[in-house]
Amino acid sequence: MMTGKKVLVVDDEIHIVHVVAIKLRNNGYEVISAQDGTEAFELAVSQKPDIIVTDYQMPTMNGIELVGKLRQNAQTNKTPVIMLTARSFVIEDDQQQQLGISEVLSKPFSPKELLRSIEDILYAKAVAD
Amino acid sequence: LRRERSFYCVVAAFAALTLVYCALGFWAERDGVFVPAASVFCGAAAVGVIWLGWSFVRAGGEITSIATQLNCDQTHQIKPCRSAWLKVLTEALNNRLSDETSAQLKEQLKQLQIQNKLLSAQKTHIDQVIYSIRDAIIVVDEFDKVLLANEAAGRLFGFDFATAANKPVSELVEGAKPEFVDFLRQSRTSRAPGSRKEIDFDDAEGPRVFDCRVSCVCDDGGRVCAVVAVLHDITREKEIAQMKNDFVSHVSHELKTPLASIMAYSEMLTDGEANDEQTRNEFYSVIRTQAQRLNRLIEDILNIARIESGLVKVEKQPVSLAILMEEQLQMIRSFAQEKDIRICSEKPIVHDCVLVDKDMVSQVIVNLLSNAVKYTKPGGTVHVFTEVDEISKKVTVKVVDTGVGIPADELEHVFDKFYRVGANKPQAKGTGLGLSLVKQIVEKVHGGNVFVQSKVGAGSTFGFELGLATEVVTAKS
Repeated sequence: MMTGKKVLVVDDEIHIVHVVAIKLRNNGYEVISAQDGTEAFELAVSQKPDIIVTDYQMPTMNGIELVGKLRQNAQTNKTPVIMLTARSFVIEDDQQQQLGISEVLSKPFSPKELLRSIEDILYAKAVAD
Repeated sequence: LRRERSFYCVVAAFAALTLVYCALGFWAERDGVFVPAASVFCGAAAVGVIWLGWSFVRAGGEITSIATQLNCDQTHQIKPCRSAWLKVLTEALNNRLSDETSAQLKEQLKQLQIQNKLLSAQKTHIDQVIYSIRDAIIVVDEFDKVLLANEAAGRLFGFDFATAANKPVSELVEGAKPEFVDFLRQSRTSRAPGSRKEIDFDDAEGPRVFDCRVSCVCDDGGRVCAVVAVLHDITREKEIAQMKNDFVSHVSHELKTPLASIMAYSEMLTDGEANDEQTRNEFYSVIRTQAQRLNRLIEDILNIARIESGLVKVEKQPVSLAILMEEQLQMIRSFAQEKDIRICSEKPIVHDCVLVDKDMVSQVIVNLLSNAVKYTKPGGTVHVFTEVDEISKKVTVKVVDTGVGIPADELEHVFDKFYRVGANKPQAKGTGLGLSLVKQIVEKVHGGNVFVQSKVGAGSTFGFELGLATEVVTAKS
């Protein structure tokens, strides 16, 4: 269990942010949240989370635009990202690879599976470092 | 003929006399009288008989020939015969035949002239049909020369279709669309009976997509003698297909969003992640509200689909819009009070009766009122009123708020299905279907108009206009 790690959860659906935050906090993670891409980018730069869980469709800046912006910033260009999406076929495999999106989960999603993915990615990162 | 007839008579008489003389000589010699000239006469008579026989045989052959010629071709002249008698016969027949042939030829010429006129009229008709077809049609021969091109083809490729015949297709088209010419050549080389390709055009009419279908015309020897190309504008079909995909994508997204909450929260409850009673109750509440949202969404989608397909049952009755609005205002007032929003309404004292489906128009008013309250900040005002124009016999309902407003570039999309103003999404929850439903009910079901005016930060005015019911209709009710 990767306790104490900081996760940024981004979704314009407050209920989704809430449920993910409870699941992660119950498992020892620190959670910060944002409801759109602009706010998320500012938080990512200032708070330096260990991993970001973001929705694809959001107002002002969608998930792909957010990741694109994160990759251009030296502070966040290596931060792992998990993307949640209720749309089918929005992210091609090569685009996912190019943007360094670790995993894409389709909505409806299981909080249990999301937690497992976060742990796997953080573990792999810790081993690599 | 007279000479030949005399000649035959002399020969016949000579032959007869010779035969008589021979008979007498033979009879005299039997009795011992020698007739020295008898054998000479006998020879001459035999020659005459043989000659006559030969003449009859030859005449028989020529008669057979005449009969054969007459059977074969009644209009053709009969060849002259050597026999003088038959010459007379053939001349007479030929005269008769030339008269009949002349009459037949005249009749045939007349028929041909009629057929020519008919064919010419048919060709003009076919040409007019081809020229009037809205699809572009170009036919080229085996040397890439244009055999036929219609007006639509001329418009599409930018050439004069009336003077296009016999010009090389590359000269007319290649500059504008080399890929089209290449496709024609490939189709001819492959001799495929039919091939198709989508070709993009970007001209004064904007970007368009054409479905280009090419077929080869082969002669009896199987050689390609012409290539026919038909270009059909499928821009609209493409747009509709794209809209359909977008709609399905939107619907699935909108349905999955509340479903995601329901499934995540129920899993958390099952896994015992809600530690206390308060958290459990909160989770139950989220599941219930998201299930309601899902139900509302499905109802809205079904209502729009029913209206669009014309399957909705419409029960129109005369209704006073002011009274209808007052009924809906009662329902929205408590919600407005919770948000500290003031609602002002004015009741007109004039006749404002409209012939509408009461439930549907109530839905329109509720959607407009709830949007106004949802997107107005606490302390704001929602002003509702109706205006009656007795001259144009129209009644207008306006809902004016002091809310967040809508950017000018997004105004034209607010009545589109699933469209939500990006900047206003955090302000309130919505499916993006409410205003689409308003538009469908007002315009498609009741033949009215919807309108919107807005300014960011100052507020929005949404409304609709319906025709007034006549006094007769109102009185009957």
